[in-house]
Amino acid sequence: MNVTSNDFIPMAQIALMDDEMRVSVNQATTTAYNKRLNVMFEAGIEHGEALRQQAAHAKRRALSQLPELLEQAEANFKANGAEVLWAVTGDEVNQLVMDIVRRHEVRSVVKSKSMVSEEIGLNHILEANGIEVVETDLGEYIVQLDHDTPSHIVTPVIHKSKAEIRDLFIRELDMPPTDDTSEMAQFARRVLREKFLHADMGITGGNFIIAETGTVCIVTNEGNGRMVTSLPRVHVAIVGIEKIVETFEDYATLTQVLPRSATGQTITVYTHMYNGPRKTSESDGPEYMYVIFVDNGRSDIYASKYAEALTCIRCGACMNACPVYRTTGGHAYGWVYPGPIGAVITPLLNGLGNAKPLPHASSLCGSCKQVCPVDIDLPRMLLDLRSDLYQEGKTEAHWILGLKLWAIGNQSPLLFEIGGRLARYITGDHPPKNLPGPLSGWSKYRDFPRFAKKSFRQQWRERRGK
Amino acid sequence: MATGRDMILNKLRVARQPYPDIEPLQEYLPVVPSIDISAEGLVNRFVEQAKKLGGIVHRVASEVEAINEIFDLLRDDNCVLSWSFEHISLPSLSATFEVRNIKVADPRDPAIRVGITGADGALAATGSLVLVAGEGKYRATSLLPPVHIAVLRSSQILPDLESWVALQRERGLDDFREISTVVLISGPSRTADIAMQMIMGMHGPAELHIVLIEG
Repeated sequence: MNVTSNDFIPMAQIALMDDEMRVSVNQATTTAYNKRLNVMFEAGIEHGEALRQQAAHAKRRALSQLPELLEQAEANFKANGAEVLWAVTGDEVNQLVMDIVRRHEVRSVVKSKSMVSEEIGLNHILEANGIEVVETDLGEYIVQLDHDTPSHIVTPVIHKSKAEIRDLFIRELDMPPTDDTSEMAQFARRVLREKFLHADMGITGGNFIIAETGTVCIVTNEGNGRMVTSLPRVHVAIVGIEKIVETFEDYATLTQVLPRSATGQTITVYTHMYNGPRKTSESDGPEYMYVIFVDNGRSDIYASKYAEALTCIRCGACMNACPVYRTTGGHAYGWVYPGPIGAVITPLLNGLGNAKPLPHASSLCGSCKQVCPVDIDLPRMLLDLRSDLYQEGKTEAHWILGLKLWAIGNQSPLLFEIGGRLARYITGDHPPKNLPGPLSGWSKYRDFPRFAKKSFRQQWRERRGK
Repeated sequence: MATGRDMILNKLRVARQPYPDIEPLQEYLPVVPSIDISAEGLVNRFVEQAKKLGGIVHRVASEVEAINEIFDLLRDDNCVLSWSFEHISLPSLSATFEVRNIKVADPRDPAIRVGITGADGALAATGSLVLVAGEGKYRATSLLPPVHIAVLRSSQILPDLESWVALQRERGLDDFREISTVVLISGPSRTADIAMQMIMGMHGPAELHIVLIEG
């Protein structure tokens, strides 16, 4: 997927004018946020917090021994009868998938949700090679039909209203007109059921990989994950190398914390564990199973001071909590992962120069860290990225100038006082509606406040004198 | 030439190790604390949670009652998907099907309305069924039909996922690895992708019936 993150500000401005989208996103994120709160802390704040630390510990411990665990997982998968492949880049993933497609004479592919495959544009490659590929998560299917991109990693069409989806189904699938959400879903069920029954290959992502058993674990609610891994002859799981966990017990914690944090469910409808292809004694399930370990920039993050970003379990809670995401929606972020975690990993995976505005797309309010089920210090990383931008000379000149002036003024009591008096004198009782020049952006959506009649310093002097 | 595998692993090995001092976890906090693990407590918690998720639990005291519940759910259907009968802990089911002339279709027949399975366990904490794939335990039975009936004995209910995992470790992880796939089923298939409205039966069954034989 192309990175358009440098257009964050114009994209966000367009998003701000789309009232329908803003209502949809605001309602959906608020609902998810509240449901999460209720479930995460149903046994008390202390227990919920301890659980977050346990989840964080599991992911950090896995990261501390990542190369060893990857090898252990590989050996176990092999013993279980699955084949393990490694891909350094996105292109290599696509190449490996195409090799599998050719080896097994695959003509049609059904996919359950895989964010990694969004990173690498897998669908386009398959289609360009004449392979039919169908997204089967309802949200992802809607995205695919509309040639759109997901705007949230858990609920991909959070930005679309019911009416938009209805019109899309009528236009693209000849659905008989209906306003009933249930009928729309039933219609999609019938269309996709045919695809499941005739597909040669199923592609999934992986929420977790258990190293000590060689197990790909996924979670779904719709059941598409089960279809994709039960009906076609071949199952390919495409997973980032950071998905490894060390023990079965770590998995038991994480696979329950993930839905609690993502959608406020105690557990997803389907919680899957895949060790390998079907046994010869079984009459359904895939005959071949492949696991592709994907790097695609992750080892660079691993080697950097941002390694903590690799502990993310992709629950989307930080998006639901973020005042910026809740206002702009996900598309403005310009790549696969929006919200606070997107603002961190988009520059890390694509180069800071390709996502310069994202570290600034945050008020640093700290909500994202507070809701993160693995306690990732997102605000700190955003600050560090801002610092990197400056070090690499990628901060825009007017920012540097402004901050330099600010620093000078704040280091000298005299200048500070003169500046304050000047500002009070100029603005007076009727502060300007619009600020001049480069400051005008600030006052475009805000009222400029009136200065206090007396500054703090004045008051301090007067009272101390008494 | 170095393979992708070597390149990735070498890069990770030469990197400064993150969290070098992290210790193994000695004790795990259960995700759902303070579950009443008495036989009655487990049944009650399981039933309560399964219902919360939209499952329908039929509590019965005998095999005869269990069979009656199943036939009520079959209505006039004379063909079902089913696991091999030896995997459904209801020994008289096969004979009753024969007497009443109920046929079992090919495991992947997409036109059948009801699928009948046993269960390999259940979890009280989350109201989940544990289904382990294996010979005669088809994946499609609990997946393709719009109605899934699972037969469960109350003695099969464990406190939570953590205790099921502990059981696998006790039996030996090599045994677990012999299994191709395990799925925990917690309520009927659902989606909320269209305007956050909850819809049951997206791809999997819209109805999940658990026939729970107690005692």
